[in-house]
Amino acid sequence: MSLPKPVMRGLLGKRLRFHLPIAFTLSIISAIAFKYAVTEPRKQAYADFYKQYDSVKEFNAMREAGIFESVRPTGE
Amino acid sequence: MFRAAVRLSVSGVRSLTRTQPWCQAALTSRCYSHGKEETDEEFDARWVTYFNKPDIDAWELRKGMNTLIGYDLVPEPKILEAALKACRRLNDLSTAIRILEAVKDKAGPHKEIYPYLIQELKPTLEDLGISTPEELGIDKV
Repeated sequence: MSLPKPVMRGLLGKRLRFHLPIAFTLSIISAIAFKYAVTEPRKQAYADFYKQYDSVKEFNAMREAGIFESVRPTGE
Repeated sequence: MFRAAVRLSVSGVRSLTRTQPWCQAALTSRCYSHGKEETDEEFDARWVTYFNKPDIDAWELRKGMNTLIGYDLVPEPKILEAALKACRRLNDLSTAIRILEAVKDKAGPHKEIYPYLIQELKPTLEDLGISTPEELGIDKV
């Protein structure tokens, strides 16, 4: 039983031609998915937080808590 | 090959492989945009001639094998036969057996290639008295 001649040339090229487009496509899809599943919600969360943020109110709350050295709570 | 890899962009690659001829990365490391492309037979004949040089030296044998292994192909039996005979002329049995290990490795996941090569090389192996790695038990880790 004599073995037939197999394909012996271009094996890596064939593999790359098949796998590289898939690899690039999947990477780009993962990047896009990460952007819209993670980074955009995070940016939106920050935006929402700071939309109604009153920095003076927060400062005064911190001041009353006594954490600053340059400005003491009112009443000291 | 690098130029070919750079050309592969996600959006373009499918249309690229349909519209442009895939460069024979096996034969040369350059993509010919002009000039004759070497046929497989010419490539094989060139390498058979290289190893058939009667006064080939050890360096040329090693250099030839290293270059040949760098290509995207498993060498044809006739090239390997010439290389094994060159090993015989140089009294280098270890390189002869190493050549067999190397082509088995070149085949990668395609397990049908190595048995075919051994089948084709059997007369030469017997004639020159070369044992295969399997016969010596050195094919297993």
